[in-house]
Amino acid sequence: MAKFIVIGERISVTAPSINKAFAERDPEPILTRAKQQLDAGATYLDVNIGPAEKDGVDVMKWAVQLLQGEFDNVPLALDTANMAAIEAGISVYNRAKGKPIVNSADAAGRIGYIDLAGANDAICIALCNGEGIAKDNDERMTYLQTLLERGMMAGMEAEDIWFDPLFLVTKGMQDKQMDILEFIKMISDSGLNSTGGLSNNSNGMPKHIRPIMDSAMVAMAMMQGMTSAIVNPNDLRLMETIKSCDVIKNNTLYADSYLEL
Amino acid sequence: MPFKKTPQKFSAAIKAVEIGTGDKKTVLGGEGVMPLYSFDGPIENAPKVGVEIVDTGLEGEAKGIQEFYAGCTTPAEMAAKAATMEGADFIALRLESADPNGANASVEDCVATAKAVSEATDLPLVIMGCKNNEKDAQLFDKCSEALAGKNILVLAAKEENYKGVAAAAGLAYNQKIGTESAVDINLAKQLNVLVTQMGVKGENVIMNPGTAAAGYGFEYVVSTLERIRLAALGQDDTTLQMPVITPVASETWGVKESMASEEDMPEWGSRDDRGVDMEVATAVAVLAAGSNAVILRHPQSVATVSKLVKELI
Amino acid sequence: MALKGIDIFKMSPKKNCKECGVPTCMAFSMKVAQGAMKIEQCPYMGADVIAKLSEATAPPMKTIQVGDLKLGGETVLYRHEKTFVSKTLYAVCVSDASDVDAVLADAQKVDYERIGEREYVEMIFVTYAGNKDAYVEAAKKAAAIGREVILDVEDADVAEAALAAIADKKPVLNGATEANVDAFNALATKYGVVMGVKAEGLDALYDLTAKIEGMGNKNLILNVCDTSIKEAFAEAVQIRRASLKNTDRTFGYPTIVNVAKLAAGDQAMQTALASLFTMKYGSVVVMETMTYAQALPLYGLRQNIFTDPQKPMKVEPKVYPINGSDENSICCVTVDFALTYFVVSGELERSGVPINMLITDAGGYSVLTAWAAGKLSASTIAKSVNECLADQKNKTLILPGKVAVLKGEIQEKLPDWNIVIGPREAVELVQFLKEYK
Repeated sequence: MAKFIVIGERISVTAPSINKAFAERDPEPILTRAKQQLDAGATYLDVNIGPAEKDGVDVMKWAVQLLQGEFDNVPLALDTANMAAIEAGISVYNRAKGKPIVNSADAAGRIGYIDLAGANDAICIALCNGEGIAKDNDERMTYLQTLLERGMMAGMEAEDIWFDPLFLVTKGMQDKQMDILEFIKMISDSGLNSTGGLSNNSNGMPKHIRPIMDSAMVAMAMMQGMTSAIVNPNDLRLMETIKSCDVIKNNTLYADSYLEL
Repeated sequence: MPFKKTPQKFSAAIKAVEIGTGDKKTVLGGEGVMPLYSFDGPIENAPKVGVEIVDTGLEGEAKGIQEFYAGCTTPAEMAAKAATMEGADFIALRLESADPNGANASVEDCVATAKAVSEATDLPLVIMGCKNNEKDAQLFDKCSEALAGKNILVLAAKEENYKGVAAAAGLAYNQKIGTESAVDINLAKQLNVLVTQMGVKGENVIMNPGTAAAGYGFEYVVSTLERIRLAALGQDDTTLQMPVITPVASETWGVKESMASEEDMPEWGSRDDRGVDMEVATAVAVLAAGSNAVILRHPQSVATVSKLVKELI
Repeated sequence: MALKGIDIFKMSPKKNCKECGVPTCMAFSMKVAQGAMKIEQCPYMGADVIAKLSEATAPPMKTIQVGDLKLGGETVLYRHEKTFVSKTLYAVCVSDASDVDAVLADAQKVDYERIGEREYVEMIFVTYAGNKDAYVEAAKKAAAIGREVILDVEDADVAEAALAAIADKKPVLNGATEANVDAFNALATKYGVVMGVKAEGLDALYDLTAKIEGMGNKNLILNVCDTSIKEAFAEAVQIRRASLKNTDRTFGYPTIVNVAKLAAGDQAMQTALASLFTMKYGSVVVMETMTYAQALPLYGLRQNIFTDPQKPMKVEPKVYPINGSDENSICCVTVDFALTYFVVSGELERSGVPINMLITDAGGYSVLTAWAAGKLSASTIAKSVNECLADQKNKTLILPGKVAVLKGEIQEKLPDWNIVIGPREAVELVQFLKEYK
């Protein structure tokens, strides 16, 4: 098995400093966060430029070239509601370190993102979700099949569609958590890859609790066969858990210094 | 439907590490395919064969080895002779005399021997210790200093003495250093991590993850080498992408199949044949499992293994 | 390897007609992969897909039986993944042009036991050099010495004569080629024997094997190239990899590697090649000779490579006299784990000191593991000393340093013995014995 893939989530317009940096094309805050995440062990970096209806194409091109130029063609996940911006980003993207990830499709209004990924030989994150939150795993599986078939039709390899079970917030939907974990197992049993915004589970919890909750969730999700997650790599406890799980799963060879690698 | 060839391609590769200087310098590693699988992709640096010389002389060695070195009285003379061996890519000098439980030769004497050997041959030189960790650390330090610029390989830094060896041989004198573990894959990886964390570049490290003679728990050797190679290439584990060197002779010439006299075991036949076959069978098996270089003693073994490598690559 | 839902989906009609009772072809494919539905429940699935699917559940590499010997049946490419099941078999080559009696007598010289396994030349490879009568005679002689026989011949007339002469022996008929395949397949079927397939290059070998399978014969062994070492290795690896990794069952057969021909007259090179093909995927390795010098490393290597990691390798618990020891020599004790035995006995021999080596029954574990599991204790040691060393006059017993803690207890149970704590590691034994004297 391959090592668990960490997609760093911290380059996002939800952070005011990053939002401002995109708007002003100011490299420094973006590069700083990128370096922090890569040093901490992120494989991919998510680049969330928000809706970016107006200048998305320019912003995404600028961001892709900035990050790949500075960090040896670091592989990126291109994250925006503006499809033209994603295509523009891919047009300047260097694949030496990995295909670009299109973030993201779903089984409803954003199913076209699959076609976009297929047409550009990209990986696509596919949310197993339609309108509203799926009521059970049967419904999630229906969405998964819809997305998978769409991907096949678009000429994609199944392994390039990373299914997102859609993590739910524990405070409020505690009774649904095991459903999500069981669904990850179903994805894994079908030989498919998975990812997702795992820390959503701890949304609304006190700051000191979240790393503990996220670590527990990632360990259980990896046990179920999850292959990737979109997380904050600068959460030390979380990264230590992922590295330890990679050792236990025999995804990487143990050495006493494994946490430093 | 015709047969569909599916070469096993990896995006990772073993690091290419050069030892020696001048025309006779040699490169270990560099390939991005499983061992000897030249049908999957190019292997630019075929596995190398080194000749082991022990500084305590030829007493007890097989007849064929003694005859080959007939007339040689010093390790330097032996090295010059060894360099003429068909298929020899490098010389490995084992400073056995340094052993505090044996002859306990001084570090200065050993360094003098190493210098004389280095001057006697232009083949790349590997310096091996006496298996006493403290003494070896001193030997490697002083030999690295005396042979600065010769791009030698010191074999090897172990868990007990890696700090000194890496600091001296690796950092101060910029020689190549070996990392040695005894058929323990996690320690093999850990030692590579530790020496690189000290500042030694991965491109200056060659690993010796240990060996045994064929028949002596050799399955552990095979699985260790194969798992190292699969992790290096398949999982792109950069801490295991160092080429591997295996001192075969010191293991195989110590087992009874190679040592028993013809008087004691008349039905077993010639001691030279037994020693050569044990050395050759073990060397080929470690090469097939993932070693980039083997160290042998008998001229016939050196000729046979290097000939096979040429046939394969 | 079972097919995954996604692989079945790729072969499905993708019509989403719902006639199978499931809303989509993807859902149907997943249910088939899980075993919840049968592929036949789809009215539009092609016959070739159904055939492929049923084949996918068969093992990737066939097990071929020759006499009591098994070849093939492997499931993994590396021994750490699981375990290899059929060890490489060694054959010695004889031809109608050679001194058959002498070769056969030589081939039988190596015959010994190593950790509970008989080591000998399992097969005789009788190769045709042009004299039919002499060949049939050679086949008969080979069949008479109790080893399995491979008839290496491409002439159907000669093959039938030899087959008829030793029909009961059920030899392997090695030599089906593109030119003789019809006649040979008829012979192999008539005599109920395994057939060896020969062709130049992987593509031709593949096509010929597929053709023979089409004739209904799946009792085969494949010959790798016997003229180039490089090609032979490339073919042995690619045949095994095609069957196990890519589940291409046309190459799911054991192989014969003719080392005798690849390195004629060069004994050391034949040893090298036998080692290479024992490591990498030769099922039968044919050699000109099997001397003790060749056998000792090769059988040791083979025993190691094909050992079952679940089963510890054990030697028989008893007293092993070393360096001509007798009842006046000192004694030492250790466990029956084969590796421990080999390493310790090797060091003891190297010391030159006459010593009785007592191996106790410790379940095949190493010293510390056995001690932790209660299989090496003061009572087990005392018991085997009393059983095996009752006549000892020199009552000095060296204990492994790693279980020094047992000394007092053993001393209590064996009051007339002098219990000495030995070194922790075998490599220190020579020094220890030198100083002890």
